[in-house]
Amino acid sequence: MAQTMKNRWAGLLLLVVILVVLALLPVLVNNYWLRIATGALMWAGLACSWNMLGGYAGYINFGHSAFFGIGAYATAILMGADFAVPFLATIPIGMIVTALFAVVIGAPTLRLRGAYFAIATWAFAEVLMQFATVVDFTGGTGGIGLPPFLNERFFYFAMFAAAVLTYFLTWSLFERSRFGLKVKALRDHEPAAEAMGINTSLVKLQTFVLSAVVASVFGSIFAYWVTFINPKSVFGGDITDQMVVMVLLGGLGSLWGPAIGGVALFFVNRLIWMYYGDTAFYIAILGAAIILVVLFLPNGIAGLFARRSGKSGSVLDTVLGRLLGSRQGGRS
Amino acid sequence: MTAQAPAPGDQPILFVRDVHKHFGGIQAAAGVDLEVGRGEIAGLIGPNGSGKSTLFNLVAGMETPDRGQILFDGHEIGGKKAYKIARLGLARTFQIPALFENMTVSENLLAAAAEGHWHGAQQRSDETLALLHLEPVANNRASDLSGGQQKLLEFGRVIMRQASLILLDEVTAGVHPNIRKIILEAIARLREQGTSFFVIEHDMEMVRNVCDRIIVMDSGRVVTSGAFEDIVQNSEVMQTYLGRPQ
Amino acid sequence: MDLFLQTLLNGLLIGGVIATFSIAFQLTFGVLHVIDFAVGAWVVLGGYFAYYMAAFLGIDGFLAMPMAFVLFGAIGYLMGPMIYNVRNSRTARPELMALALTFGIFTLLRGGMLTIWGFNTHSVPTALSGHSIMIGPVTVPLIRVAAAAFAVLIAGGLFFFLFRTRYGLAIRATAENRQNAALMGVNIRRLSANVYGLYAGITAMSGVLMGAIYSVNPEIGLRYTLFAFFVAVLAGLGSLGGALVAALLLGVIEAFVATYGGASYSHLAIFATLFLVLLVSPRGILGRGL
Repeated sequence: MAQTMKNRWAGLLLLVVILVVLALLPVLVNNYWLRIATGALMWAGLACSWNMLGGYAGYINFGHSAFFGIGAYATAILMGADFAVPFLATIPIGMIVTALFAVVIGAPTLRLRGAYFAIATWAFAEVLMQFATVVDFTGGTGGIGLPPFLNERFFYFAMFAAAVLTYFLTWSLFERSRFGLKVKALRDHEPAAEAMGINTSLVKLQTFVLSAVVASVFGSIFAYWVTFINPKSVFGGDITDQMVVMVLLGGLGSLWGPAIGGVALFFVNRLIWMYYGDTAFYIAILGAAIILVVLFLPNGIAGLFARRSGKSGSVLDTVLGRLLGSRQGGRS
Repeated sequence: MTAQAPAPGDQPILFVRDVHKHFGGIQAAAGVDLEVGRGEIAGLIGPNGSGKSTLFNLVAGMETPDRGQILFDGHEIGGKKAYKIARLGLARTFQIPALFENMTVSENLLAAAAEGHWHGAQQRSDETLALLHLEPVANNRASDLSGGQQKLLEFGRVIMRQASLILLDEVTAGVHPNIRKIILEAIARLREQGTSFFVIEHDMEMVRNVCDRIIVMDSGRVVTSGAFEDIVQNSEVMQTYLGRPQ
Repeated sequence: MDLFLQTLLNGLLIGGVIATFSIAFQLTFGVLHVIDFAVGAWVVLGGYFAYYMAAFLGIDGFLAMPMAFVLFGAIGYLMGPMIYNVRNSRTARPELMALALTFGIFTLLRGGMLTIWGFNTHSVPTALSGHSIMIGPVTVPLIRVAAAAFAVLIAGGLFFFLFRTRYGLAIRATAENRQNAALMGVNIRRLSANVYGLYAGITAMSGVLMGAIYSVNPEIGLRYTLFAFFVAVLAGLGSLGGALVAALLLGVIEAFVATYGGASYSHLAIFATLFLVLLVSPRGILGRGL
């Protein structure tokens, strides 16, 4: 239909304009705003990575910050005096370490049902955080410092590149390929997906590892960017909470939802920080946002733009349904 | 009636021997013996609780038999994972439609073909939409469909699997006669192409018109099997199942 | 050996208090079918309430307990219908909406507490604080013994209520089979509100006790939610008897790890145990789980 085609082209044009503006941003704004944009891009990317498992596969991972933290610590440790690895090389190493963790943790954990999976992943992230606190080579509670590199443009473009690649990867893998169909099928009805020949355990694990590895990349860049990390700043539950709310607010299971939610909430975060000096109030806002989404906006902001009627339910419904294991088909 | 071991060159597509399955204290399958021939449409009837759905789950891999043998197309499949059995060429529908609710009708069909049947999937999806008269709702969410359309879509996904044996679990239950007609035509079309069917049904009309052979189950066992006319004249069956003295 | 016994005793005592809110948590799940993320927040709020009663009105912690029960019981009773409505609304997946709702409530409360009270830590003073008693060869803080005693009283009261009164029977029936209970004339909506109020009240009371033994600050709420989850997983969601055992076990683990390993390891040990238990036996080691 002509209208859909028109919408497609309009959407594409909008995307191009946004990308161009973002690419030129360092020239357009000062360092202060550039830092904010860097942060926003990071969160958009992180939210997208969480959405891979949470939105497309329907597995709510409450410990996603674990992988962000592994990437951060990998970079921090590797760039330390003992190893002195150049920054860019630490990223793939961090990704490999993260992938290993993800496979080892993912395989058994993904067998758990909804709510138990959420609790188990939460426990895993906390274990990692506690571990980082008590062990020496991570610097303990004190954390680790990284060699300072005060080039805002570098980090902006690093995050920008990472975010663009992440969204492109998500689009091509989850929206456009047969892999994406398999993932969404197992989300919507795992036994039926199995009956269609899909090896759901493998597909779940692949998605888990992918989302983990992407988060790790952002963690690596983050560590170098802020030049100092400690267990709470990279493994903290607040990080996962924020990611979850961003995706819910933006639209669970949609491509651009995480970007919308990520940028919107990050700006709110910065605003509160500017006016109040701390982010305690922001946490309250996160809570309010979830309640709002659950009560009024199950499809998130992105859902407001979808052309279908939302009455028949949403991805959020399906995913939360799995959380309480109330629908998994089965014997009749 | 016990199944004979198949003669060479005469292999049934499904061969079930002495299969047992219990849940807690309930013996859902208590020594099931049956077979489904190639290109045959076999009907499975029996009172509620006789173990028909359990049998389907055992064959399709959703449950593991305690004991016994299940051969599909010559392969041992008892206890194998559901996705592996599906890849061997077995497809099934679910009694309560198990659609991919957040995906569109087209996406549901394509998702069914995603594993192993991707080549030409788009075209076959279009053909299936046409065959089942689902073109008008092709881009609707599966959860938005009416009950009858959902059954059609459920059946459509099975078509996309290009299976050699299709298990249908009360596929026409409670649907509008028009929809039933569409499904029956589709079954006939597939059978011409050599697909075998194993069908759970309560609708005796459908059973009489469509099935080549009926298998009757009760209390976890096969009571008898044969052509519809023979079954109907069998007073034992009529008593157990249809409750009419003959 | 003395240290061993002392640790064991301390662990059991604190386990008793944990049991109180854990059992209430399980009850809420059984009746409302909601995993209340906010359980930790109720505990902390109970503690804060007692602190303020003491700071501004000079009321002893133990006296504040029944007051906390009434106040938070009322708040819970008022909130119950909202949760019940969401849980039973006509949208596609209401149970889950309620789950996300309680997570939102928890986050909102935690953020609110942080905003209002900052990161300061307070203690609930009681007449018994600072004293110790000798039980056999070991010395334990009197407050712990008293707290455990109160916990036993509360839990005992709850069990008595549930198993020896008609209303308790109605509650158990609803938890067992909601439809049948409704058919037998139980007003599920009203009962759910009552149960949520009861749960909030009991949890807040145990919060007073926790506040006296440890302290209160907004961040510690998460720890209590973790405890409730731990117990629920170990015992199986909804199992009351199993919760008692699991809570005592948790208290003992915590005490031993903290004493022999160091406080920073106790968190690690609990989370690690939780994780391993989930992998090994997701339906709960002790109870009938879900």
